[in-house]
Amino acid sequence: MTKLVYASLLAIAPAAMALPAMAQDNDQCGTVSIAEMNWASAGVAAWVDKIVLEEGYGCNVDLVTGDTMPTFASMNERGQPDIAPEIWANAVKDPLEAALAEGRLIEASKILEDGGVEGWWIPRYVAEAHPEITSVEEALKHPDLFPAPENPARGGVYGCPSGWSCQITTQNLFHALDAEGKGFDLVDTGSAAGLDGSIANAYEREAGWLGYYWAPTAILGRYDMVQLPFEVPVDEAEFLRCTTIPDCPDPKVTSYPVADVYTIVTKNLAETNPVVMGYLGQRTWKNDVVNAILAWQTENQATNEDAAWHFLETFPEIWGGWLSDDVRARVADAI
Amino acid sequence: MASSCWGLPEFLCSAPEMSGSAMRAMRRTIDTGFKDWVRGVSPWIDAAMAPLQRFLNALESAFVSTPWIVVFAVLLVLTWFAGRSWKITLGAGIALIAIGWFGLWGDTMVTLSMVTVCTLVAIVIGLPIGILASRSERAQRVIMPLLDVMQTLPSFVYLIPVVVIFGIGKVPGMIAVVIYAMPPMIRLTNLGIRLVDREAVEAADAFGSSERQKLWNVQLPLSLPTLMTGVNQTIMMALSMVVVASMVGVGGLGRNVLQAINNQFFTVGFLNGFALVAIAITFDRATQAYGKRLQRHTEVSDE
Repeated sequence: MTKLVYASLLAIAPAAMALPAMAQDNDQCGTVSIAEMNWASAGVAAWVDKIVLEEGYGCNVDLVTGDTMPTFASMNERGQPDIAPEIWANAVKDPLEAALAEGRLIEASKILEDGGVEGWWIPRYVAEAHPEITSVEEALKHPDLFPAPENPARGGVYGCPSGWSCQITTQNLFHALDAEGKGFDLVDTGSAAGLDGSIANAYEREAGWLGYYWAPTAILGRYDMVQLPFEVPVDEAEFLRCTTIPDCPDPKVTSYPVADVYTIVTKNLAETNPVVMGYLGQRTWKNDVVNAILAWQTENQATNEDAAWHFLETFPEIWGGWLSDDVRARVADAI
Repeated sequence: MASSCWGLPEFLCSAPEMSGSAMRAMRRTIDTGFKDWVRGVSPWIDAAMAPLQRFLNALESAFVSTPWIVVFAVLLVLTWFAGRSWKITLGAGIALIAIGWFGLWGDTMVTLSMVTVCTLVAIVIGLPIGILASRSERAQRVIMPLLDVMQTLPSFVYLIPVVVIFGIGKVPGMIAVVIYAMPPMIRLTNLGIRLVDREAVEAADAFGSSERQKLWNVQLPLSLPTLMTGVNQTIMMALSMVVVASMVGVGGLGRNVLQAINNQFFTVGFLNGFALVAIAITFDRATQAYGKRLQRHTEVSDE
């Protein structure tokens, strides 16, 4: 038995020591590192990639915990991790464009077929109790319905966590709508946990809540929220000119454009690992699928790994379409 | 992979664990229970928290809207009277000027108001608990493990329920900071009183002191240096927690630090970090010097 251990260790050792920079054979995958981002949809995507690559292609996948900016910076400067399954282009617009132009990072695929949805939301129970609230502008006429957490005398618009790009867009739209003059404060939620917690807190007491959120997300799978449209359509040029710029002097109201969400890989991986690139090029899913998985995940308080297995069990027709027959069979065997 | 498991039988191979479905049922039961409980108590909690919220808002606006020169003067006078040292006072003055120069005055005031409240609350709650622990072995046996939990439990573990109960803002932030900053006060109060010279206590007994007189006139004065170290540590812990408090919507320097972390803004991060460090060092030196002075009054020394 111990001989077996040594033998297998000897077999593993070269694989573990193989430098990622070494050109690999076309049917060899080797070791890849994937960023497991700290929001649900990206975390599940990382686990789906890990399971498919390990079971179907025989890769050896390390997951690295990450967040948009630090992970992006690490990939851009140090070439590690190899893959970020879900990067919202708006969140790192300029540095991402620069990195893509220089060829340091490569766009492997558009992971969300429909793109990401951003907007301002209210709970369904508020929308049903006040059918006249059909848009953001209408909601801003009722500061009494959406009390600010620290000052109930005024209304509150729950903004984005510090340092996220949506903090800037929410702030500019808040000024453009003159929400302050309408009796609202812009609430800094501090972190994703703070933003999610404020929604949970409102739901527990059936209180009003108005603020920024995005899909696909677990919260929207878990709590029944209504997205309020803005009364003006999307103006992409204006959005780029001003809405995304910090402290823009003359913001105008515009709806959010659909966000592009990509799988980004390092130059090194794109050049040396056709196996993984081939898989990533095929991999894409729709928001309703992701929302369903995330709703199941929060309903069952499951880990990202559990949710990934749940997806593989429940939606074979989706992931089956990404893979060749023999790989599909190997993944199906693993389930 | 080598799954030989050293030739052990299967059931010794992986640690025994409950089934996934049982685990999920347990999580769901606990969460649903917690939610129902929150639904039940939330109006009552809201009513109880409103005055605290108002007080915190008022204090913050007092710090922020007072002209800077007044705050500056008050802080320097306090530093001088605590430390009686030109060096510390001068250092504090330079630190505050630099903070203003780099445009962090407002944020620093928000953070200072938060730290002030949290420190006071931690001392007011921690001191009696520390005294209790020092007077009763049984109380100490119960309290010490609790303090271990308070200091090591990752703050987000209790921040999530706290946010669901209280919403976001200064109240949950204050709770998080106090939970983290109170243990050193309790520990050092307990230690200080226990280390008071037994002979001094016996002498007080011999003169017929009551328990209260013994505590107020002998034990607490003699343990003051240790108590001051407790206060000092509590301030330090409170300052180090403001970044985490910012994660639930408390403003100030912590928010800038978070923003810098999320965006890799080195300069902003360092400036705000150093503002926190400058405040911390000022507090530390002033309270340490104050503690030393107290010692000099209580001990006959020929310096």
